[in-house]
Amino acid sequence: MRKIVIKGRGVWGGVAEGPAMVSRDTIQGWSGLDDETGVVIEKGHPFEGMSIKGAVLVLSGGKGSNGWSSHFHTARLKGLAPAAFVFPKMDSRTGVAVVVTKVPAVTDLEEDPFETIRTGDWVRVDGDRGILEVTREG
Amino acid sequence: MPRLTDAEKSVLDGREGPLKRVALQFIVDYAEVMGAERLCDVTKAHLFAGAHHYIDACTSDDIDEVISEMLLCSTEKVSLDCFACYAQADVGPTDPVRWQQLGVSPERHDRNRVILEKYTKAGLYPAATCTPYLSGFLPRMGEHYVSTESHAVTLMNSLWGACANADGIEAAFCSAVCGKTPLWGNHIMSNRGGTHHFRVEFTPQNVMEWDLLGYVIGSRTPTHSTPVLSGDLGTPGMVELKSCFASMATTGGAELCHIIGVTPEAPDFDRAFRGRKAVAEEVITPRDLGEAAVLFAGDGEVVDYVSLGCPHYSIDQVRDAASLLEGRKVHGDSRLLVWTSPAVRELSDRAGYSRTIELSGARLVTSSCPLVSETWPRDASTLVFDSLKQAHYIRPETKATVLFGSMAQCIDAAVAGRWERRSTR
Repeated sequence: MRKIVIKGRGVWGGVAEGPAMVSRDTIQGWSGLDDETGVVIEKGHPFEGMSIKGAVLVLSGGKGSNGWSSHFHTARLKGLAPAAFVFPKMDSRTGVAVVVTKVPAVTDLEEDPFETIRTGDWVRVDGDRGILEVTREG
Repeated sequence: MPRLTDAEKSVLDGREGPLKRVALQFIVDYAEVMGAERLCDVTKAHLFAGAHHYIDACTSDDIDEVISEMLLCSTEKVSLDCFACYAQADVGPTDPVRWQQLGVSPERHDRNRVILEKYTKAGLYPAATCTPYLSGFLPRMGEHYVSTESHAVTLMNSLWGACANADGIEAAFCSAVCGKTPLWGNHIMSNRGGTHHFRVEFTPQNVMEWDLLGYVIGSRTPTHSTPVLSGDLGTPGMVELKSCFASMATTGGAELCHIIGVTPEAPDFDRAFRGRKAVAEEVITPRDLGEAAVLFAGDGEVVDYVSLGCPHYSIDQVRDAASLLEGRKVHGDSRLLVWTSPAVRELSDRAGYSRTIELSGARLVTSSCPLVSETWPRDASTLVFDSLKQAHYIRPETKATVLFGSMAQCIDAAVAGRWERRSTR
């Protein structure tokens, strides 16, 4: 087991942990996330068929419809929200998504998370202190 | 925490009532997340107003509770009874007049009517279109606005230098109610320089090629970047550009796109990049367009459903559709819908285009689209669109074959009940 600590800026408080889902291409909200199940339906996406529920989403930013945030808002109301968000940099779609999802979020990281975090790593997100702890098996 | 003015602090203290307090609190939280230093005044808002399917995630029967949770993101119930700025409706979940033609349930129609009446009483103009700029929503250069329609942000930022971020539906409503948004991103002129250079090695010949070009650029533009297009792009008009920005804002996140020699912040290369160097440069060739077109290409399919008008057709597009349909009949096993705004529909009625379109068996509908109304037929084998935005978003939601073509090709398919293969160039 290896543990990596990455520092950044906490943008939404609280502490949460879960398995990482890491995508430099990010995911679509509209027609990318199934609101009934929290499963990614974007064609050809590496996450296609995976649920965001309880995951630590490590995404480059938002894309597609301006309704990006509302899919995470719906996920929260239906009990399908991710555990936390990690964004290397904020954009307006992800900013609104953080406010409506109300889960710990960290941004402005000292290291490129796409180089250090892999899908399946266990990540603890401390939104109060702006710290990520990444644990990898093996 | 952003620095707030005394007037803003007074709103947060509740001196202007709970509605504005809740809305401004959301904007202040959003500003803090973004690291914005202060807020700016919003003068225009274009809003996803109506009983859209997504608001069903709040199961309350109380409309005010639903609006508070879904649009203002507040568990405290407030009544949305006024807007702080000019507010105009984006598309809704149905055509309020022709809802039965779309197969929308009476319950959805009624709920939509009640919600729209509430907003209209609060001051919202029920323009009901994704093309607000064709219905009087015209922010000038440097003016701060919000919009829930992705391509409307890209278009109005790019074509006349107005200022908005993509934000999200909740932030747009909160801005409309409190008149503020974080001073961040595209609201600061010095942030608006291009980052990625796309050298386009051909002149797009028609709306379909502009749509494909937007689709390709969107898919190659990384998050947080502003594309700059150069090349001999001809003299695109509003019709070409709205299609281009619609697909660009579908496959990517671009909120602003400079086109050298076309858009006002890009009179030349240096000013488009604000004196900085491009992070990356790519060449776009006709072959790239062909590769995108092939994703939605067909050959001989039986066509059940054809939809035109995403983004909503302008009056000249409605006229073109009418002239292509004159004296013809839509095939008995096909349906043809043409989508536009209520304002353009009124013009089209006066000009006689609506009659020509409907005599063919097609329907000229307003205020929504297949995606937002969720009315595309679930049992269809082939769905046809003249818009890559519709085609791209609907494809993951259906088992049907999804095809993309020009207005003329789509109309021919609706009349023949069958798709004819044709090359794009």
